[in-house]
Amino acid sequence: MKKIIRFLRSMQFGMILLVLVIACSVAGSLIVQQREPMEYVNRYGEGAARVILALQLNDVFSSVYFLVLMAALCLNLTLCSIVRLPRTVKATAQLLSRAESAPVEHELAPQQVEKVSTYLKQNHYRLREKDGRKIYVKNLIGFYGSFFTHLSFLLILVVGALAVVTATVTDQTVMPGETLTLDDDTTITVESFQIEDDTGLLDYASKIVMRSADGMKEAAREIRVNEPMSFEGYKVYQQTYGTAGSVEIHNLVNGASEVMHLTESCFLTLDGVDGLFFQALYPGYVKAEDGTVTLITSTSGAYSDPVYDVLSVAEGSMSPVLAFPGETLTIGDVSFTFLEPTSYPGLRIKHVSTAVLGALYAVFALMVAGLYLCFFMVPTAVAVTENGYTIVSPKPSTGLIIGLNACLEEEET
Amino acid sequence: MEILFFASIVGYFAATVLQAAGVTLRKDALCRVARIIFALSFVLHTGFTIWRGVAAGRIPLANQFEFASGFAWSAAIMGLVLYARLKQEWVLMASMPVAFLVLSYAAFQPMEIKELMPALRSTWFALHIGSATFSYAAFAISGGLGVHYLLQLKKGHAEKESRMVQTDYMIYRLICLGFLLLTVVILSGAIWAEQAWSRWWSWDPKETWALITWILYAIFLHQRIRMKWQGKRMAWFAIIAVICVLFTFAGVNKLLPGLHSYAV
Ligand code: HEM
Repeated sequence: MKKIIRFLRSMQFGMILLVLVIACSVAGSLIVQQREPMEYVNRYGEGAARVILALQLNDVFSSVYFLVLMAALCLNLTLCSIVRLPRTVKATAQLLSRAESAPVEHELAPQQVEKVSTYLKQNHYRLREKDGRKIYVKNLIGFYGSFFTHLSFLLILVVGALAVVTATVTDQTVMPGETLTLDDDTTITVESFQIEDDTGLLDYASKIVMRSADGMKEAAREIRVNEPMSFEGYKVYQQTYGTAGSVEIHNLVNGASEVMHLTESCFLTLDGVDGLFFQALYPGYVKAEDGTVTLITSTSGAYSDPVYDVLSVAEGSMSPVLAFPGETLTIGDVSFTFLEPTSYPGLRIKHVSTAVLGALYAVFALMVAGLYLCFFMVPTAVAVTENGYTIVSPKPSTGLIIGLNACLEEEET
Repeated sequence: MEILFFASIVGYFAATVLQAAGVTLRKDALCRVARIIFALSFVLHTGFTIWRGVAAGRIPLANQFEFASGFAWSAAIMGLVLYARLKQEWVLMASMPVAFLVLSYAAFQPMEIKELMPALRSTWFALHIGSATFSYAAFAISGGLGVHYLLQLKKGHAEKESRMVQTDYMIYRLICLGFLLLTVVILSGAIWAEQAWSRWWSWDPKETWALITWILYAIFLHQRIRMKWQGKRMAWFAIIAVICVLFTFAGVNKLLPGLHSYAV
């Protein structure tokens, strides 16, 4: 049992797990993921497709073995960190006691010893005197570097999984002027939406107002890509956009009128027989010299010359019509006035615990700090006596030796 | 202004050749000329980068050309700073060819200045891509030093010689720096992705390969402690791992398109 635990917490096991993560990642990046089974047959042939599906290589990162791998890595890191923590705490005292008793490694003349002391002071080493021995120390906090690094890696896996599992995400399109009510009665009103800024630069942005269910809290913000709005545990993203046809329908009999936004093909009719069949809205067109019109089918910007592609259905016959904003088409007792199209945002609404989010940011910072301590704050003690000096450090002190040698050579020359 | 760009490529090339000749023939004067040409080319390259940033009205790191140019610039400044501190010719032996080769690669990428996609207008993106140029440069120079180390071994220098120990140590330090910066790349990329698309991580091929590179270097750092991988092994690793870095940098965009394919 002891042997098994020793293996489970060993660096060797950790490295095996990391190699396996690499293997899964390579497979997951080379084989297209999360496609229909037929696509694998078409791409890789039937035999290979069967192997891919059997080994879940079509969805490596959600496969059982990948999750087991991650769990094993967490276990390994936890055990390894627990075992190493007491050693880390004791490391400073051990370093100092080694420095106190270490024999002189680099013998020097007295004036050179003085030079070494000056160099160390200049390089921010702190002096501790013990039994007549001068011990210069630096970066003792560095002992905690690898502990923080491993802890942060473990926490990134745990808190990251928590952030993904506890988040709920919904996508909604909302017309400008409309209000969306969420499950807990929080509301989101889209006041306006733009595709381009004043200079014509692409800039998808929605002005939104959010109100809490009890109406006590309200906040407004312009959201755009990279600038979501956070409100009471919600994060609202400017995710996509669309452009809807807008038609004012006027009932010539009773005088009633209504504006409708059209996002997909539909039949607008009062009696179920005559009416307007909306097929599509095009962003622009090119008119040739002979008068023929070619429609532009897609754009990433605003619709510059919108064209409505509709069918007029009257008395049992259909006739295609290309209509432009401002035009009116009368069919029976109804007139249809084509308006400038309406651009609208697609919002992504994510509900996520603020505490989890904050924890994830903190853990990211801990990892960077941990690595900095590991690599750039190497704990070092230099014992200086009247005969010379000795360096004690858990890592090679090549940098310090180069510096000290340069400083001593300078003196000689 | 493109003339500055092409002049820096020629300058980096000339510096590389002169430095190699100077070191091989043990002619200090040649090395001195190489250093001056390298520093001047770096100034021209900096001028070009500033001009490009001003002309585009943004940080010039938004497509593969600009990223490659930034990578070469980072390699050049790292080489110059390390040389200024250590006064060792081998530092330049490694960084000069990296700057030249990466900038030559940039020359084959589409150069026109394009409007920045809305998704790329982010401080996190700037940190993400800025740290990537320095991280890749540190790894590439460590690979260059790996080649230099192996060549020195072949020439009969012993692993214990102080110059060899210093080179070995420098490879390790550069890998540490590259690893720290690659961590910043991955974490700032995750934060940016969450701000832009609501997802921290989407196993996009570029993300996946950055993670593979990161784990590869993590394994190496542990093997160095566990199995005392130093000297020749370290040099070989530094060279082989650079292939993974270069695949993440350029290969993924061409071969495994995904969310990051804007960088093509
Ligand atoms: C990908 C995840 C990991 C990362 C990023 C990581 C990072 C590091 C770093 C940066 C160091 C210091 C290396 C140096 O200073 O040269 C280190 C040391 C170490 N790591 Fe990891 N590590 C990871 C996983 C693991 C695992 C799974 C184990 C398993 C037990 C482990 C055990 C150790 C040990 C024992 C040391 C030596 C620490 C010391 O001497 O102070 N690491 N790790």
